[in-house]
Amino acid sequence: MIFGMLDGDLFSLGPILVDHLVVTEWVIIAILGIIAFMATRNMQVVPRGLQNAFEAIIVWTYDFFTQLMDKEHVAKKWAPLLSCFFLFIIISNYSGLIPGAGNISGFQPPTSNWNVTMTLALITFFSVHVAGFSEKKLGYFGNFVSPSPLMLPLNIIEEIAHPLSLTVRLFGNIFGEEMVIAFLLFLAPFIVPSLIMGLSLLLGGIQAIVFTILSASYIAAATGESH
Amino acid sequence: MAVALGAGLAVSIAGIGGGIGMGLAGGKAFEAIARQPEVGGDVRTLLFVTLAFIETLSIYGLLIAFMLVGKIS
Repeated sequence: MIFGMLDGDLFSLGPILVDHLVVTEWVIIAILGIIAFMATRNMQVVPRGLQNAFEAIIVWTYDFFTQLMDKEHVAKKWAPLLSCFFLFIIISNYSGLIPGAGNISGFQPPTSNWNVTMTLALITFFSVHVAGFSEKKLGYFGNFVSPSPLMLPLNIIEEIAHPLSLTVRLFGNIFGEEMVIAFLLFLAPFIVPSLIMGLSLLLGGIQAIVFTILSASYIAAATGESH
Repeated sequence: MAVALGAGLAVSIAGIGGGIGMGLAGGKAFEAIARQPEVGGDVRTLLFVTLAFIETLSIYGLLIAFMLVGKIS
């Protein structure tokens, strides 16, 4: 069905219906969890192999977010969430490019469905306000009336537009890319789609980075000096 | 017929605007990096975020086109 609506539930856990997308997300979470568990199972002071790679990633992301947010304790507090966004989104984006993925019935990258990207964007939305409130207490609401109380409606619209644009950006990119690949596969089954698949490796990575950077800059704007 | 035309127009007009914007932003960023290569990293990060913002507008057009195409079939 066009737009990747929920086209069939597999089973239900109590009142919650579980469909293909949720199972795909579980697999992605399991892969990330297993890799993280293997990296931290036998930690040493002098890291080697997988532990070394993970420590490099964590140091790099902390440095990156610290540079972006100015306030180091805020960056330290929110870096785990943002790094998780990045890892989850990049694996979701790439899951559509696994050879033969189109032959599995019901399989699609979770991020090519707007329900999933809306969920991610809402997590960002709430964490921005939690971050702003816990950092500046009641002074946070001053952000909404800056530079003047006349701007209050515009500021509120802007806050609502942030998660919407995050949703549509990620969903539209991945969904459009999947549609283009499907169309090319229909036209020319061999070789030709590999070019656009190479391009989507780049685009999937950029979209994951952009989602993370935008979430980080929204948190930075909420916790920093009035903007 | 009109719906199909609308789908084509939606994505093409959105593409024109996004293309012009991306060209301007990318060109200026390259100028900045060429003039001052040491700020390359900062400019590149900003450029990607800016391109994502511009691209979103084109993606809105693409989504409308997909909606209209779904209406045909």
